[in-house]
Amino acid sequence: MSNAISEIETAGTDETGGLTTSGERAEEIQSEWTDYRLSADPKLSVENLNVYYGDERAIRDVSMDIPENSVTALIGPSGCGKSTFLRSLNRMNDRISSARVEGSVKLDGTEVYGPNTNLVELRKRVGMVFQAPNPFPKPIRDNVAYGPRKHGELNRGLVARLLGRDDSEAERELVERSLKQAALFEEVKDRLDDNALGLSGGQQQRLCIARCLAVDPEVILMDEPASALDPIATAKIEDLIEELAEEYTVVVVTHNMQQAARISDQTAVFLTGGELVEYDDTETIFENPASQRVEDYVTGKFG
Amino acid sequence: MSEAYVHDRETALVSDELGAYDRALDGAIAVAALNFVLGLATLVGALGPETSGVALTDVMLAVSAAGVGGVGLVAACAVLNVVEIPSRRIRGLGVGLVGGVILLTVFSTVPGVDMQTLMGVVLLFDGLAVGFAGIASRAGLVDTEPNASAGALAGLLFGAIGFVLGIALNGIVFGGTLPVVVVGTGLAVMLAAATVLPREDLGSTLPVALVVSLLGLVVASSVVDPGWSSIPAEPMNGGLTGSVVVSLFVMLGSLLAGWAAAKSRARYGARGRQYGSFLVIYLNAAMTVVVMVSIVAFVTVRGLDYTVHGFTIGALSGLVVLSPFLVAALAYARRPAGAADWHGGVRETVRVLPLAVVGAVAALLVSLVVRGEPFVHQFTYTIMENRQERTLETALTVTPELTVGTLVVATPSVVLFAYFFRKYGSLAGVGRTFDRQPTVQRALGGSVAATVVLAVVLLLGGSQPFGLGLGGTLGFGAVVITSAAACVLSLVAVSGLLAGNGSRARRARHNAQFVKVGLFGALGLLAGAVVLQPTTGTTPSIAGLDLLPASAILATVAGLSVAALATMARRATGTSDAEQRLTRRLLAEEIRLGLAGATGFVVLLAGHVATTDAPFSVAGLTLSDGGTLSWPMVLFSSIPLGAEPGGILPAVVGTVWIVVGASLFAIPLGVGAAVFLTEYAERGRFTALVEITTNALWSTPSVVFGLFGAAFLLPRLGDTPSLMAAMITLGFMLLPLVLITAREAIKSVPNEYRDASAALGVNKWETVRSVVLPAAVPGVITGVILGVGRIAGETAPLILVLGVGDAGQPVDVLGGFRLMASPPFVYNEALLEASKALPKQVWAVIAAGVSGSPSKGWSTALLLLTVVLSFYLIGILTRRHFRRKLDYE
Ligand SMILES: Nc1ncnc2c1ncn2[C@@H]1O[C@H](COP(=O)(O)OP(=O)(O)OP(=O)(O)O)[C@@H](O)[C@H]1O
Ligand SMILES: [Mg+2]
Repeated sequence: MSNAISEIETAGTDETGGLTTSGERAEEIQSEWTDYRLSADPKLSVENLNVYYGDERAIRDVSMDIPENSVTALIGPSGCGKSTFLRSLNRMNDRISSARVEGSVKLDGTEVYGPNTNLVELRKRVGMVFQAPNPFPKPIRDNVAYGPRKHGELNRGLVARLLGRDDSEAERELVERSLKQAALFEEVKDRLDDNALGLSGGQQQRLCIARCLAVDPEVILMDEPASALDPIATAKIEDLIEELAEEYTVVVVTHNMQQAARISDQTAVFLTGGELVEYDDTETIFENPASQRVEDYVTGKFG
Repeated sequence: MSEAYVHDRETALVSDELGAYDRALDGAIAVAALNFVLGLATLVGALGPETSGVALTDVMLAVSAAGVGGVGLVAACAVLNVVEIPSRRIRGLGVGLVGGVILLTVFSTVPGVDMQTLMGVVLLFDGLAVGFAGIASRAGLVDTEPNASAGALAGLLFGAIGFVLGIALNGIVFGGTLPVVVVGTGLAVMLAAATVLPREDLGSTLPVALVVSLLGLVVASSVVDPGWSSIPAEPMNGGLTGSVVVSLFVMLGSLLAGWAAAKSRARYGARGRQYGSFLVIYLNAAMTVVVMVSIVAFVTVRGLDYTVHGFTIGALSGLVVLSPFLVAALAYARRPAGAADWHGGVRETVRVLPLAVVGAVAALLVSLVVRGEPFVHQFTYTIMENRQERTLETALTVTPELTVGTLVVATPSVVLFAYFFRKYGSLAGVGRTFDRQPTVQRALGGSVAATVVLAVVLLLGGSQPFGLGLGGTLGFGAVVITSAAACVLSLVAVSGLLAGNGSRARRARHNAQFVKVGLFGALGLLAGAVVLQPTTGTTPSIAGLDLLPASAILATVAGLSVAALATMARRATGTSDAEQRLTRRLLAEEIRLGLAGATGFVVLLAGHVATTDAPFSVAGLTLSDGGTLSWPMVLFSSIPLGAEPGGILPAVVGTVWIVVGASLFAIPLGVGAAVFLTEYAERGRFTALVEITTNALWSTPSVVFGLFGAAFLLPRLGDTPSLMAAMITLGFMLLPLVLITAREAIKSVPNEYRDASAALGVNKWETVRSVVLPAAVPGVITGVILGVGRIAGETAPLILVLGVGDAGQPVDVLGGFRLMASPPFVYNEALLEASKALPKQVWAVIAAGVSGSPSKGWSTALLLLTVVLSFYLIGILTRRHFRRKLDYE
């Protein structure tokens, strides 16, 4: 196992210095699938993406297309840049002052990193669920309704009531629908006005998913959404992801190979140094990968 | 972890076989702790060492009466199922207190026994007990685990004690005839050796026994009596007086004895040291508390009699004023007190004390009403008049009146109503089971709105607006119809709980909409009628009964019945399955709605009486807009120069306005700057500079702020000292603290919240407003509390910017606003006048001798303290409210 790691690391370092033997192999593999398009009309299309933290490059020349209404899994060893890649899809990296992005990400053909991108619109369309559940310290109802309220889609309060524009009924329906979509409604329907911090970890994570769904996004990015949960809660989240894929485009980071194999339609394997080593249908990646390193990784020989 | 640990230790100690050794040491510890507190009380001056006989009993009686009263009240509440029963501990405490009182009564009637002798004898007992414990352990009579030595640190400590004691004893017992250093050093070496050389059990008990017994002998034998002074030749020229020495000896002795006894009780060794230091720390904490309480007590005792001069209140008004405190004390006492260890017992007792005090006062007031006799407490105090002392007789009176001051009734009700209404009273979901929900809601809202519009039209257009006879028949009709409709609706609310089949809970759940619609509708309609009636100029009555108040009372009864019926239904509902739990929740909401409705109707009733000046009596109870309350010191506007007491209302009002104004100035500015610096500005030179300057500003002496205000603000604000200038000056003082604490609070809000919000596409400002600031509020409030405490008591800057204020009337800030056509458009002359403020008043009265009476000064100080503490209380309560909202429990 340690051998494999050192081999990968050498491969990574060698590549920065130029093309050596193992680098050549990587290049060769890359050429095999670089032109591989999983659909003619991808939802997200990433081209030559590079992300730097200061001088350090965390993502190297990544290009990939993410098809609509499917689950795409990102796997790879810790620190290889999966989260960084995910965050660059809805420009959450903008919030890190040392981060710098080069290359292009297109959402439905429109450049995400273009000068005229409206960040609010972008993040409404590309939602995100974080690794650790992070509900606001507010009632469950307020958590779910937070996004739409702040976007001015739900009017409430005395003035709205007097003007006859009170949307509390619409809000009630939205909250119920989102919680049902996140498979949480039955568990919390009696305590929508209780503080969300009183929920269990798994419930909190599903609440975060409901909160994300309430904004009605097109793409949902999930960063290890089940890593802090027990097997039962994890199973619930997995079922949920599979269901969501019927309506949404889901990109999910995971450390769990079985999970990736179970839930995803296509899988991207990142290896140390932020390079995308292979990207293909999940079945191919797990049963017949083109690269030896990927095979080692998915069969647990290292990582 | 600590709770579990403490509990462990506790059971370990308790489950040991309780032999004579243990029981004696337990007694010694308890007595030492008591003795320590007695010594402290003597030092503070609450008890004199010469206190003997009757006085001693009085003190003990008062203390234990409060304790026994509290225990009794808890027992009563426990029977009524209001408070969890704290069982054995409290019972034991009650029995102990009663026994103690009886013993002390017997003891203190023996002639010649006074406080000092008592304390000395107790010390002697403690010393002997500790000594015997050490010897018993060394002789192997009890099973202990001592270390080889008590340790160098203990040796050093006892060496130091020996040195001081040697010198002191030399002075006291031998009159300073022996060479000081020799005696001191001798005793020091002796004690240190006795501590370090023998095994731990002897080393930590024998020196203690020796020292403590010696101290006990000195105290008990009255070698030092209150008349004694350490420098007899030059009395009163520095040096300690006898009473101080006695109390210091008692405290030192008790501390040592308690420490050693606790150590022995826990069988020495590591556990012994642990237990010993616990005791010392507890006594230390007790001392801190006593010091703080005694400061407040000192001011209270000196200022109280002048403050309550001529105080008169009706018993019922008093009860009403007291009611919020009663509720608060009850809520405070009923919160579960945690683990059932002895800390828990103490905590429960402490929790119960406020309830006991408030309960006792309430009982007194009720008894006054029942017996129909006034309560008059006579007292005398001295004041200065023309540089001559004069005694003044006055009385504090509570009369058993049956007149409830309308607004006084309304105040607590309004608070309750607002609270419940805010929490449960939204129209959302009203009428959900009806086919046409929006129609129902609109009808409810519309009828209220129409009544209000009608009232406004009548108010503006006279009784015949646009030539319509609204004020007469129409208005009359409207009032009659709305009142009648309100009556019907409130009855609908009750009938909702009675009609239908099935169990009470089932009916209540099924007809929940009737309750909500009925109560809300009745509230709205009655509110409309109350607004409408004064403008119509008529008072409709039916069968000699005024229609409006009668409907309000009917509705109040209905609201209370709803609450009662729902409570009964809820009692009968189990908690076993989800369905039942849901029913219970719904019923709980109905109970609160009923209570909110009832309080709301009372508020309306009070409002009606207040607007129409028409007193209303029912069943011998009169509701009028007057009430009996006279409080010269607080409610009168000026202090005359002579003996007659006067009021300081202008100063109280001035202080309140200054604090409010400064907060209004500083809080938005400070929080805004904190938000900018933390959320928007890049970390760098600029933020660092701001940080340094705010810190520097916070440590700037207040008189410098005063000078700044006088030199900079006054020329720009009409050139005279004024309230406005004081507000801004103190606002500048408050600003840095608010800024610093708000920054810290905002920084400590987890970044995950910001990320989550940003990922939902919410912009930065919205995120700050709805996620970051709410989470930071408790921290910000802490800063404001501290800052307000500082500025409320400021004197120096006020002398410079507030003026000498000969204003005889309290400033009328709210009524002082004038609108103008030219800039600055709004003008408030009250803000630009000189005013009074409490701290300045204290300074003027005491230091400058303006009106020459120390009692007035102390009384002013007491009121200042009260005002500051009230601000503090408000701050604490607000912070708790927001913390609760952030927490899930
Ligand atoms: N805010 C940051 N500033 C500087 N470097 C960062 C920052 N965030 C991540 N990195 C670096 O970028 C690289 C990729 O990190 P990233 O968090 O994307 O890894 P990951 O694949 O998500 O790992 P894991 O599976 O452990 O979550 C790491 O080497 C990490 O040290
Ligand atoms: Mg990660």
